[in-house]
Amino acid sequence: MLGFVVVVMLLAEASVGLGLRGKLPGLPGAVVVFAILLVGAHLAIRRFAPHADPLLLPLAALLNGLGIVMIYRLQLSGRNGNPGLRVTDMSGSATTTQLLYTGVGIAALIVVLAVIREARVLQRYTYTLGAVGIVLLAIPALLPDSNSAVNGAKVWIIFGGFSVQPGEFARLALAVFFAGYLVAKRNALALAGRRVLGITFPRARDLGPVLGAWAVSLLILVFETDIGQAALFFGLFVVMLYIATQRTSWLLIGVVLFLAGAGLTAMLFSHVMERFTVWLHPFQGANPTGIAFQPVQGLEGMAFGGLLGTGLGQGQPYHTPLVQSDFIFTAFGEELGLVGVMALLLVFGLLVQRGLRAALGVTEPFAKLLAGGLSFVLALQVFVIVGGVSGLIPLTGVTTPFLSEGGSSLVASWILVAVLIRVSDSARGPAPQPIQDEGMTQVVRAV
Amino acid sequence: MNRAILRISLACLAMFVLLLLNVNYLQAFRAPRLASATGNVRVFNEQFKYQRGSIIATGDGSDVTIAASQLIKGTRTYQRSYPQGRVYAPVTGYDTIYSTSGIEHTEDSLLAGTDPRLSVRNFTALLTGKQKQGATVELTISPAAQQAAFTALAGDGGHPAAVVAISPSTGAILALASYPTFDPNDLATLDGTKLNQVDRQLLADKRQPLLNRAISETYPPGSSFKIVTSSAAFSTNLVKDTNALVQAPSPLQLPNGHQLVNDGGEICGDGTPPIIQAFWMSCNTAFGNLGMRLTAPVLRDYSSRFGMNKPLAIPLPVVPSVLPEVPGWTDKSLTAFSAIGQFNDAVTPLQEAMFSAAVANHGQLMYPYLVQRVVGPGLSVITSAKTSVLSQAVSPQVAGNLEAMMFQVTHNPGGTAYATAGPQATGNITIVGKTGTAQNGIDNGNLNDAVFTCFVPGTGGQPSPIAVGVIVQGGGFGADAAAPIAVKVIQAYLRAHSS
Repeated sequence: MLGFVVVVMLLAEASVGLGLRGKLPGLPGAVVVFAILLVGAHLAIRRFAPHADPLLLPLAALLNGLGIVMIYRLQLSGRNGNPGLRVTDMSGSATTTQLLYTGVGIAALIVVLAVIREARVLQRYTYTLGAVGIVLLAIPALLPDSNSAVNGAKVWIIFGGFSVQPGEFARLALAVFFAGYLVAKRNALALAGRRVLGITFPRARDLGPVLGAWAVSLLILVFETDIGQAALFFGLFVVMLYIATQRTSWLLIGVVLFLAGAGLTAMLFSHVMERFTVWLHPFQGANPTGIAFQPVQGLEGMAFGGLLGTGLGQGQPYHTPLVQSDFIFTAFGEELGLVGVMALLLVFGLLVQRGLRAALGVTEPFAKLLAGGLSFVLALQVFVIVGGVSGLIPLTGVTTPFLSEGGSSLVASWILVAVLIRVSDSARGPAPQPIQDEGMTQVVRAV
Repeated sequence: MNRAILRISLACLAMFVLLLLNVNYLQAFRAPRLASATGNVRVFNEQFKYQRGSIIATGDGSDVTIAASQLIKGTRTYQRSYPQGRVYAPVTGYDTIYSTSGIEHTEDSLLAGTDPRLSVRNFTALLTGKQKQGATVELTISPAAQQAAFTALAGDGGHPAAVVAISPSTGAILALASYPTFDPNDLATLDGTKLNQVDRQLLADKRQPLLNRAISETYPPGSSFKIVTSSAAFSTNLVKDTNALVQAPSPLQLPNGHQLVNDGGEICGDGTPPIIQAFWMSCNTAFGNLGMRLTAPVLRDYSSRFGMNKPLAIPLPVVPSVLPEVPGWTDKSLTAFSAIGQFNDAVTPLQEAMFSAAVANHGQLMYPYLVQRVVGPGLSVITSAKTSVLSQAVSPQVAGNLEAMMFQVTHNPGGTAYATAGPQATGNITIVGKTGTAQNGIDNGNLNDAVFTCFVPGTGGQPSPIAVGVIVQGGGFGADAAAPIAVKVIQAYLRAHSS
């Protein structure tokens, strides 16, 4: 299966070379390095999680590999005599950097699998990780703009040439915190409480810390003007609460709260309102060249690709600003067409499905809750960004897991997959053997 | 907790289904609409990446390329070029990076390969890895006639002028030339700054080189309109045959007190000449008098039968030639002027050719057209012209009368075009026609426009090969300025088709 991934990547790279210059590219060094990394990850899984779901690694690797090929294609555009315009906010060594982060991500995967031999180990660090999550979220808000803001979103930690998006990791840490906390309190949350209007509300003291953590993270996100991340946190929180308590009322409250929050922020913050305008009327008046320029370019790019796409290297994705990060999905839409993006969505869907399957299979509540929550948030992230760039929902800037350029998202995505692999190993592994030979227990025949 | 996880799985499934439906909607159904959105930079850039179809002139039996796209060496960009650009500019039009005109405009989707009729072929090309390609547009234009027309116009002292030649039996346009004109190669530049510069120059040029005088500008028809007046007179039995006598007082007293005189105040025969003599001498008073007796609505009716008073698409849009229903147009004094192609009468050079074409084709006017065939890449014929009848202008018998009268114009020593389109001038080609010398401008202060409409009658059961209309703005006498141009076009065409 990994061999198949490498072959797909090789063919895609050859296609880029043919599309751009009409000849095969040189030695595909990146593919070789990528293949070596995959073999390493595979061996680590065989060693540390031998019963893990065999599909998780190849699915993630396929997405990561295609992302690298697309970044390679975009980086070549307009450079070294290649046709097209240069993607100006993209470094000439973006592919190497992305490959490096892939290495870091796979290293993180191996470390997670090696160190955390059972998911419930994490439960010990519930409050530690909760605190870490909040701090990670808070840092960009407290830093000066020069060390934290890029394109208006204040979500970075930038020092020298090095930048990290701590929110990506904070999401993982807070997922562990929610899981640990909710598992400990779920009986209280599910059973105790007062019934008001047919809905049972939990006691304030059971809910306080969770609501507090959620409110703090939301506040920070509003100050950091990162609506996409806020939506992901909120979705993660509500769904984990629902899985823990099994109360449908939580989902209803969540949806109502979300719509109210969206409406309120739209009224309070002009940049949120603008997102709605752009979503509903992208082609109205001066919007296509003004506030809706980026989404319109994305839509026209995907439309230009049509059913089968222009072929890698033969479209014009470079017209779309930030096509290498938030809008990379539209570049796939343009060059691989409807067929290509449907395949990508199916790969994402399969990845989510395998994660949920692990959550269903595992018996331990903490692991179940964590895997369920993480799988859902992966699906939600794909929905928010792909739905955003394809005009289904208002656009909010979150990264496309595994595809977008950028280290934080890639490493965090690999850690997420590592956790799912760990949980799936527990789910599919043999049931713990009852201890049989404590000394020589005498077997007595009952007559 | 499993029940909740299963429900969340369904929610995830729903999200992915929504995404899949949306990308299908976007890329399959909404794509064509987005492609035509204004300012779609991808579609704009795409026009240079594929080979636009050629435009070729097939009127002489062989293919002469008049517009083609070639790959610029060392790039992937195609450059449009027009061999003999000025000669064919009124037909081809231009194809700039921003806009198109002429055949480049009307056949744009076929030339660009975006027409739905080409989509099956484009789809298979996509699957087999071949490049998308535009279709070839084959025109009815005769390179011999077109070249002769352009040379004759350019050699005529630089007067603004236009000439159109038609095959009367089909309506196929054999030549369509306008002067002064432009070189579409200058506009085919891919450099936007240079294009703007050229465009500004052309628009500022007082000689109006971008104006297609053959179909987009109208002129007074002058005496050539007497063909229509005669048609009405014969068809309504007001005049029985070509030898019937008509009143030609000199001058003609008009009801409003004014007088209508013949050119130079000459007397028309003995004052009551046969209509055929009034025609070959082009007596204004005889036809002015007939017009008053016919009335304006009848004249307008017959002008419509010759294709006037409505727009045409050949497929280039043609400005309607008119005998307009302006206030007071039925006033008999004014109708007398209408009947001799003055007052508000205005026709295109194409209309002049159509007058003769209808007579040449036994009264039946064929719809004029330029596009003979459109051939897709891979030589599949996408469209093929079907000739159609525009109207039955007059009966074959009346057409015979008209032809007899037009014969005298060029063959009677007293005919207005005897010297310039008669047997001595044409080298034994029989041309029959009608001259026109139209006064125009305020108080008729401008130089006269020279008009000539003519055709070569069919012989031995063959249909008439060619009908020509010429208008030279400020050229003076129709016989002197316009007729020689028509003769040159006819000679070139017949020479190319004699062997």
